[in-house]
Amino acid sequence: MTPHKTKELARHRKERIWMWVQLLPVLAVLTVLFGGALVLAVMQSLGFAPWFGVNTFPDFSFFRALWGEWSFWYSLALTLYYAIVSTLIALVFGTLLALAMVRMFPGKSLYKYLYKLPLMIPYTVGIALAVIMLGNGGMVSRLMAFVGLIGDPSEFPQILKTHYGWGIIAVYVWKQTPFVTLTLYAVLLGVGRETEEAAAILGANKRQIFFQVTMPQILPGIISSTLIIFAFNIGAFEAPFILGGGYPDTLPVIAWRYFNDADYSLQLQGMATVVSIALIAGVILYSYLAIYRGYERRIGRS
Amino acid sequence: MKHTLIGLSVTASMMTSVALAEDADANSFRDGFLSGDVTWEDVEARAKQEGTVNLYYWGGSDPINIWMDQIVATDLAKLGVTLNPVRITGTKDAIDLVLAEKGSGKGLGEGSVDAIWLNGENFATLKRQDALFGAFADKMPNSQFIEWNADDPRSLLNLRDFGVETGAAEAPWSGEQYVCAINTARVDKSKAPATFAELKTYLEANPGKFTYVKPPHYIGNTFVQAALYAHNPDGNGAEPFQASIDEIGAEEFARLITPGIEFLKEIEPLLLGAQSGNARYPEDNAALDGMFLNGEVDFNCKFGLYAVATGLNNGTYPEGAEAFVFPEGNMIKNKNYLAIPSNAPNPAAAMIMANYMTSVEAQTSKLKFTGMPPGVDPWKLEEAQVEALTEASPGLVGVTQAELDANTAPDTNATLVDVIEATWLEYIERDSSDDIPTIVGRAVENLK
Repeated sequence: MTPHKTKELARHRKERIWMWVQLLPVLAVLTVLFGGALVLAVMQSLGFAPWFGVNTFPDFSFFRALWGEWSFWYSLALTLYYAIVSTLIALVFGTLLALAMVRMFPGKSLYKYLYKLPLMIPYTVGIALAVIMLGNGGMVSRLMAFVGLIGDPSEFPQILKTHYGWGIIAVYVWKQTPFVTLTLYAVLLGVGRETEEAAAILGANKRQIFFQVTMPQILPGIISSTLIIFAFNIGAFEAPFILGGGYPDTLPVIAWRYFNDADYSLQLQGMATVVSIALIAGVILYSYLAIYRGYERRIGRS
Repeated sequence: MKHTLIGLSVTASMMTSVALAEDADANSFRDGFLSGDVTWEDVEARAKQEGTVNLYYWGGSDPINIWMDQIVATDLAKLGVTLNPVRITGTKDAIDLVLAEKGSGKGLGEGSVDAIWLNGENFATLKRQDALFGAFADKMPNSQFIEWNADDPRSLLNLRDFGVETGAAEAPWSGEQYVCAINTARVDKSKAPATFAELKTYLEANPGKFTYVKPPHYIGNTFVQAALYAHNPDGNGAEPFQASIDEIGAEEFARLITPGIEFLKEIEPLLLGAQSGNARYPEDNAALDGMFLNGEVDFNCKFGLYAVATGLNNGTYPEGAEAFVFPEGNMIKNKNYLAIPSNAPNPAAAMIMANYMTSVEAQTSKLKFTGMPPGVDPWKLEEAQVEALTEASPGLVGVTQAELDANTAPDTNATLVDVIEATWLEYIERDSSDDIPTIVGRAVENLK
C-alpha cells in the first residue's frame, strides 16, 4: 500500500465519522423521541398499560371496538374531507399566487412581505380570528344585524361548528396558502422564465405553457408542499375541536376525548385511535409519494 | 467496574435514607396533628419553615385570578407563607398529577401539589385512591365557622360531597347553587318556564333558543341530574340519588333515570342548531355565556348564585338578564372545597392557607371580588360578620333568597355521576340503538 493510498483511506474514514456526527443529533431525536413514542403508543393500543392496571398484551379488542363502530368511519371520512379539501384549495390559491409573484407589478416588494403574514401567526390565533369574525356572535353577524340585514346576530347563517367545516377549511387555507406559495415561488425563481419564453416564441398559448412547461417544472414543489400540509391537516386537533360540528368529531378530537375521560381505561382506546390515525396517514402519504416516484421514472427523471 | 457498582449502591442507599428521613419527619408531623398532639402554633411555625404553598385551581376566571394574586397572596405573605397559584384548565389535571406522583412512590413532603380546589368526582377519586392528607378541616381554628354537627341537617353539605363522606379531609370553601338566567329583553319573564314540561312547550314554540353545556363537563352533568330528579318515576326527586351505585344496583338505577334520559332525548331536536342539522352543546360555561350574550339562546343555566349580578357588572351577561326559579324544587346546591393531598410537599403551609381561606375576612373579600358565595355557614357567625358578608354580596337579580332556599336539591352521589355521564354520551350523543338498561349495565361494568 502506498503512503498516498493510506492517507486517502484515513481521509475517507474521517469524512465518514464526521458524517455520522452530523447525522447523530437528528437521528437520536427521531429514534428515541419519535420512534420510542410510536412503539409505546402501539404497545398501549394493544393492551399494554400496567400503570393503569391493564396488561392484556397483545389484545386487538381496542381496535376491534373502534373500527367496529360506524361513527369511526364517519369520523375518518370527516377527517379526510377537511384535510383533502383544504389542501386542494390551498394548492390552487398558492399556485396562482406564486405565478403572480414572479411577474412584476406595482407594490410587489411590499406584497412579498404581506402574503407571508399568516405563516408567522399561530393556528390558534387564526382560529380565534375565525371565531371573532365568522361566529354567530361575531363581527360580521353583528354588523349585519346592526345594518338591519338580519333581525339579530343569531339569525346569521351558521358557518362555524357545522360538519361542512367551512371554518376549519378557512383557517387551514388562510394559513397554508402562503406556505405553498413560498415553496413554489422559490422553485419558480430557480427554474427561471427562459423555458416559458421559448415556448411562447414557438407559439404555445397560455394554457399550454402552464400545463406542459411550468407545471412539470414545479411539480416537485407541489408534491412536497401538499405532502406537508396534508400530513398536518389529518393530525391537527385545535381547529376541528373549536370550529368543528361536534359529534361525530374528527379522529384527533376523538382521541383527545378518550384521553380526557375520567375513566382511565379509555386511554387505551385513545391510543388505538392515535395509532389508527398514524396508520391511515402513513399509508396515504406513502402511496402518494410512490405514485409520484413512478411518474418521475416514467418521464425519465430520477 | 466493581468499584463503580459499590459506589452506585452506596449513593442509592444514602439517597433512600435521606428520603426516608424527610418522609418520617413529615409523617410524624401529620400523625401528631391528626391525633391532636401538634398545636396550631406548631403548624404556624412549620409553615414558616416550609415557606410556600402550591395551590392548584381552575384558572379560567379573571376575577378569581386577580383576587388570588392581589388579596390572598398579600395576606398569606403576612403569615410567612408564599402563595404559588397554579392555574389549571381542568381540576382533573391536578388529580392526575397527585396520583402519578403517588404511583411513583412520592409520599408526604415529596409531591408537588399542596392543595386543590375541587369537589364531587375529583374528591371521590382522591378518596378512593387513598390520596388525602387526613381529617384536618375540623381541627383548624376557623373551622368554628362551619357546621360539623351531624345532628343538624344543615351540616349535610359539609359532611358529604356529592354523597361521598368528606371525613373533614377537605375544607368547605364556597357554596353554590345551580341557577338559570333568562334574557328578559327577548322573553317576557312571566313566560319563563318553571318545569321541564314548560321548557319543552316553550322550545316547541321557539325552537333552538336553549342548550346546555355538554356532559361530561360538570355544569352539563348538573343539568342532566336536575332533569333526572324531576322525572324520577317514584316522584321522590333527589332522594334515591344519594346512595352509591353499589347500593342501588345497575338495574334499579336504569329504571330511575329512564324517564329523564328519554326527556333529554326528546328535547334534543329542539335545541340550538338542531334545526339546521345537529344540536350544539357548548363545551363549557364560557361558551354558553357567549351564546346567551349574543342572543343565540334565551336561557343560561350554570352554578352561579350571583352570576347574573356579576355578569351584568362585567358585561358577560346581556342587559335584561334575570335569574328565575327553574326547575321547581330541583335547583341543585352544593359546596366546593379545598383538599390537601397525601403527598403535599408543604402540608403545614397548606393548612395555614386553608384556615385563612375559611376566615370571614377572606370569605368576604372573595364574595366581593369574585361573586363566589361563602362556604362558611352564616348561623355560626356573629351578626357583624353576617352583615359584612351581606354587604359584600353582589346581590340576587330576579329571585329572592327565600325562593332559592325553597327549591333546593342536593347533588348526586359521585359514583352515579360517572354512570349518568356515560349514559348521556352513549344514548344521546352517540345515538346508540341499545336501550337504557343495557347502556347503564355496561357503564357500571366498565367503571368497576
